[in-house]
Amino acid sequence: MPGFDFSNYNRNAALHAQGMPLPKATSTGTTIVGCIFDGGVVVRFSAIPLRPSMNLFPHPIKPPLSMIAADTRATSGPIVADKNCEKLHYIAPQIWCAGAGTAADTEFTTALISSQLELHAMSTGRKPRVVTCMTMLKQHLFRYQGHIGAYLVVAGVDPTGTHLFTVHAHGSTDKLPYVTMGSGSLAAMSVFESKWKAELTQEEAVELASEAILAGIWNDLGSGSNVDVAVITPEKTTLKRNLIKPNEKVPKQQSYKFARGTTAVLNEKIIKKSEIGRYVSVQEVPLESDKMEVDS
Amino acid sequence: MAAMFSQNPLMNGPHYATTDAPKTNNYREHRFYPYTDNGGTTLAISGADFTVMAGDTRHTAGYSINSRTEPKLFKIGGTTADQHDATIVLSVCGFAADGNALRDQLDTICKIYRYRHGKAMTANACAKRLSTILYGKRFFPYYVHAMLGGIDEEGKGVVYSYDPVGSYERETCRAGGAGGSLIMPFLDNQVNFKNQYAPGSGVGHDLQERERRPLLLNEVETLVKDAFDGAAERHIEVGDALQMFILTKDGIEEKILPLKKD
Amino acid sequence: MEFGRSGALNEGKLFNLSARWMLTWVVIDGIHVDMNRLKKGEVNMAVTFKDGVILGADSRTTTGAYIANRVTDKLTRVHDTIWCCRSGSAADTQAVADIVQYQLGLFSMHSGKPPMTQTAASIFQEICYANKDQLSAGLIIAGWDERFGGQVYQIPLGGSLHKQSYAISGSGSTYIYGYCDANWKEGMEEEEAVDFVKNSLREAIKWDGSSGGVIRMVVLTKEGADRHLYLPDTNYAERHTENVSL
Repeated sequence: MPGFDFSNYNRNAALHAQGMPLPKATSTGTTIVGCIFDGGVVVRFSAIPLRPSMNLFPHPIKPPLSMIAADTRATSGPIVADKNCEKLHYIAPQIWCAGAGTAADTEFTTALISSQLELHAMSTGRKPRVVTCMTMLKQHLFRYQGHIGAYLVVAGVDPTGTHLFTVHAHGSTDKLPYVTMGSGSLAAMSVFESKWKAELTQEEAVELASEAILAGIWNDLGSGSNVDVAVITPEKTTLKRNLIKPNEKVPKQQSYKFARGTTAVLNEKIIKKSEIGRYVSVQEVPLESDKMEVDS
Repeated sequence: MAAMFSQNPLMNGPHYATTDAPKTNNYREHRFYPYTDNGGTTLAISGADFTVMAGDTRHTAGYSINSRTEPKLFKIGGTTADQHDATIVLSVCGFAADGNALRDQLDTICKIYRYRHGKAMTANACAKRLSTILYGKRFFPYYVHAMLGGIDEEGKGVVYSYDPVGSYERETCRAGGAGGSLIMPFLDNQVNFKNQYAPGSGVGHDLQERERRPLLLNEVETLVKDAFDGAAERHIEVGDALQMFILTKDGIEEKILPLKKD
Repeated sequence: MEFGRSGALNEGKLFNLSARWMLTWVVIDGIHVDMNRLKKGEVNMAVTFKDGVILGADSRTTTGAYIANRVTDKLTRVHDTIWCCRSGSAADTQAVADIVQYQLGLFSMHSGKPPMTQTAASIFQEICYANKDQLSAGLIIAGWDERFGGQVYQIPLGGSLHKQSYAISGSGSTYIYGYCDANWKEGMEEEEAVDFVKNSLREAIKWDGSSGGVIRMVVLTKEGADRHLYLPDTNYAERHTENVSL
């Protein structure tokens, strides 16, 4: 596999030994959760998985459903780096992943495994399985001995049923009916431990997962802003981006618009639009998409 | 630690100064560390005949919130425990336990002064005394960024701000604590009109700076609220509620306003 | 919870506090072990009895003081009637068990017959010894095979291999050395052996703060693998098979 570039390793190790701190990566100091529920269909159900491979819902009339949810705050130390980032990552149409830890690691690791899983699915001619995804993730992360700081909740539906896993950065995995991860995981787990049950309709499950995320948003400083939810059923995956927005920015009390000419101009040079290509590389920008948030 | 440490250049991204950074070793030494950083931000602005002191009421430890309603602003030197006739306000940010100890010590000293002299301490005298208290613990400092607000003998608003070991200065405005570095540039621009020029007053280097004028009380209140809303947006240790003390010759008015709670 | 290199999950405590001192010493000695990956507690055991072997374990996985999983399955299948109890780093032991499961699967397909317990234990030992600098894995391997019946092997931290008639490991095990020694009998009946395992684990869970949750067991005989589950709700008295709500 084409891997990482280690060419600066020795230089950086020497600098570090002299006391230079490591650069601070953007972290999704985060609340992420996932849970399985029966969708309102009466099934015989075992909440304690007897073994990792065992289906939690034996002989269901209808297969159970799974969902994952996340907050949307990304931090760099005590500073909020992104107020509305996406922590729900696509792996395959019916397999999604919530990521906590180092933002870049969750982003690239899920993208890499998503790519490999799609190639695997094409080569075998079968739909990708959640266990396959989980195994690829754990083997990738184990190889890097925790240096890739990705903490993931993997959920999905495949021909063998509905599955939910957590994968830790060192490569260990767990299979449980409800899981939480990230700095807000304790707050979120307290909600699940007091309210989760197998018999939930989809609406109730979304409500419960949202409440778990909100517990993280309010009580954990690493988590904040909005709630994202993804519901994965055998039929389809529904991504509810910003399902709850309890932290809208309060409008400023006054305008901070400066009068034209407030900034000193020491030098002026006019470049014609037709000649701009001589100074910078020009690229067409798609209109109106993902506008940066600015104060008016 | 982050409130003070967030102002530490070492914590603000990659750095190439290798002299004063902490050395990292492979072993871990266990020792008692008596300081905690409880986050939060304080802000003080003095006007022509008033002073506004402000602080958020969030009290944190790491990623946890200890309290959403813990004041960082304290009236000092009144005749009673409820400080109804106080004229001076102390704000403390950083290690809250040290802040409380400092507040108690300064308040006691002010009360003793009133008993001995039959009059309240002036803001100026109190400011000097606070500096002495802080320096008294030069080698085991109060881990706080303190500010003192009041009305001086001419009836003008005053703000004094301190470092943890007692170096102090009278200023027109100051923001301290976790969000201090976020708010201070905003204050420079909006209170002291830094980097603002009068449009059309000249060309290039001849351009004239925008004329400075003292702000009105309602303008200051607006700036304070906007400053804290902005800090709460981007700093995880700032939020919950904004406590504001407005000091005038008529006394001290308190205002509590909501802030973001995530 | 902190997210960094210190967030490793550990199943089964290999070390208690005093043993961490040992580790500190090891680090100074130039063998690099991430100390943070070794904090946890648990109790595992495997015993032989008349018709085979029984593996038993608690179900607690911790990250520092937080219980990351209270219903962990530390009893892992590497072949139909060869299983292992994992203790130490969850990531390391899962990785090793996955490799061994693959090797034994390949072996049995090539040879057309199920592998012996000793073979499985040897593969485990090979991996644990060759990678001893990087692994924190303490394993008990127990299995039933046609030739030798029930057998129990233990692989502690350095990668040595010990055949025993019964084995205990994990932080909780220190509390039950005396109990096990006093109550152990060679060639017990299945029911008696199940009670021996269960009662030993109950003691360990009772006294060791870092062991807890449910008791899981696997009985390995000629008939195959039979799973047991005992819940604290009923003081571990009743056996549950499935359909248990948390």
